[in-house]
Amino acid sequence: MLIEARHLSYTYMPGTPFQIQALKDINLTVHKGEFVGVIGETGSGKTTLIQHFNGLLKPTEGELLVNGENVWTEGTGLRQLRSRIALLFQFPEHQLFEETVFKDIAFGPRNMGLEGSEVEKRVRYSMELMGLKYSLYKDRSPFSLSGGEKRRTAMAGIMAMDPEVIILDEPAAGMDPLGRRKFMEKICMLHRDEKITVILVTHNMEEVSRLADRLFVLSQGKMVLEGKPSLVFNSPDTIREAGLDIPSLTYLLTRMRESGKEIRTDIFTVEEAGEEILRFCGEANR
Amino acid sequence: MEAIIQVRNLTHDYQLSGNEMIRAIEDLSLEIEEGSYVALVGPNGSGKSTLARHFNAILTPTSGEVMVDGLSTADEQNCWEIRRRVGMVFQNPDNQIVATTVEEDVAFGLENLGVAPELIRRRVAETLDMIGLSSYAQQPPHLLSGGQKQKLSIAGIIAMRPRCLVLDEPTAMLDPRGRTEVLGTVKQLNSQEKITVVHITHFMEEALEADQVVVLAEGKIVRIGEPQEIFGGELNLEELGLEVPTVPKLAHILRQGGLKIPDGVLSMEQLVNSLC
Repeated sequence: MLIEARHLSYTYMPGTPFQIQALKDINLTVHKGEFVGVIGETGSGKTTLIQHFNGLLKPTEGELLVNGENVWTEGTGLRQLRSRIALLFQFPEHQLFEETVFKDIAFGPRNMGLEGSEVEKRVRYSMELMGLKYSLYKDRSPFSLSGGEKRRTAMAGIMAMDPEVIILDEPAAGMDPLGRRKFMEKICMLHRDEKITVILVTHNMEEVSRLADRLFVLSQGKMVLEGKPSLVFNSPDTIREAGLDIPSLTYLLTRMRESGKEIRTDIFTVEEAGEEILRFCGEANR
Repeated sequence: MEAIIQVRNLTHDYQLSGNEMIRAIEDLSLEIEEGSYVALVGPNGSGKSTLARHFNAILTPTSGEVMVDGLSTADEQNCWEIRRRVGMVFQNPDNQIVATTVEEDVAFGLENLGVAPELIRRRVAETLDMIGLSSYAQQPPHLLSGGQKQKLSIAGIIAMRPRCLVLDEPTAMLDPRGRTEVLGTVKQLNSQEKITVVHITHFMEEALEADQVVVLAEGKIVRIGEPQEIFGGELNLEELGLEVPTVPKLAHILRQGGLKIPDGVLSMEQLVNSLC
């Protein structure tokens, strides 16, 4: 599934004193099977942008195309679109509402018109996918779960709709480091094994630099940078002007390079950075 | 230094339906020195937020005692005085915003305390300036983004000038600049205004800034010490659901690989200097 924005602009409350233009002339493409990151400071338009991807917001100007078709042309079926491009909001645990985990996860598939054994099959599948053992969790109240389990239940509710694209808005905010790492590993697994397209909105530069194939950098409603993490974070001035920061490892490796050391700077994990620095120091001492 | 908060043998049970109970804090003792900056870390469910809610009498002990500035939180008559002295900023700013414009929201607490209108105006302006929200003074809060709202809720507390500020994951939703600004403001309040800070966080990098780090697990203190003691060595924080921050982790890898990285390297700048 291909998502394209063409000259997309969005204004909140047009024609009132509170009118605010949140997006200005955005052009982008998300390819099938990609893992893209959307970064930008608070108020830069990230959430507004992703709400266009599954038709929750209608562009004030320009177009949003899915597989080449304008989603706002009559007869495109927005409802169907929303089950194929699923959006997990910030703090998704606030949206759990049913009496049992099963019913909560079944809500999406039922809304899609599915019944009986097909619903059960999907609930079971998506629970196991998110590491929630079916027999253990299906009858529990979602409100009795821990924070991490609630997130995974919300995520299972999304996965039960069998989407082709998942959009995640700060999915791990407020989770402890271990819970966060486990949750993000699940997302990577979905991307790798299920070939799901992932669009991740985050403030965590370390994480997104490690995970995403490509980054979109927003600032004041405009796209200011786009490309592979190594390319994007190679423009520290633009990144800082956008209110963001380069990952701390990129900073370290860049400083070492600036001091004349022949060292790679396109590394985003501590382990690899350690290896690279040791490699360099080993060669320098030889 | 005197302790502003003294926790003695605190136990806290949450009553669930029927006779079920969950013990969130068990026989915990802790002293928080006036003027210090204390980071409280631990995995989800370790009791951090429960403990913090005892600091301004939102929760009272099942057993044991919490004293704030010599006042027991168990005595209902002390409640308002304790809350004047200990201000709390919660995880979710949406639950803390009450007014229809940003400046009115910051003024709300001061109005409740009966502060004179002139002083309210000055405090509100100063606080908005400090937090970086001056240009939004007249805006309705619901038009702010998540991060800006979080800053607004911090501003609402800071305007009341409490002696102690308890922050429960204040930066969880902020962008890098917002985080830096808020942390800078909190540090400044601590170093210049001598406000005691208790900072709950999942970002281990933030805990490096504190004078003292308290690590909780399953309702108990499992480690307590300066950041260097907690993060500098080979303590297995991963077992506790926590993470060693990037710099100490990398320094450890480099030392094992035979490089001479001095002990006590905690910031990226220190590491850069020892490598360049």
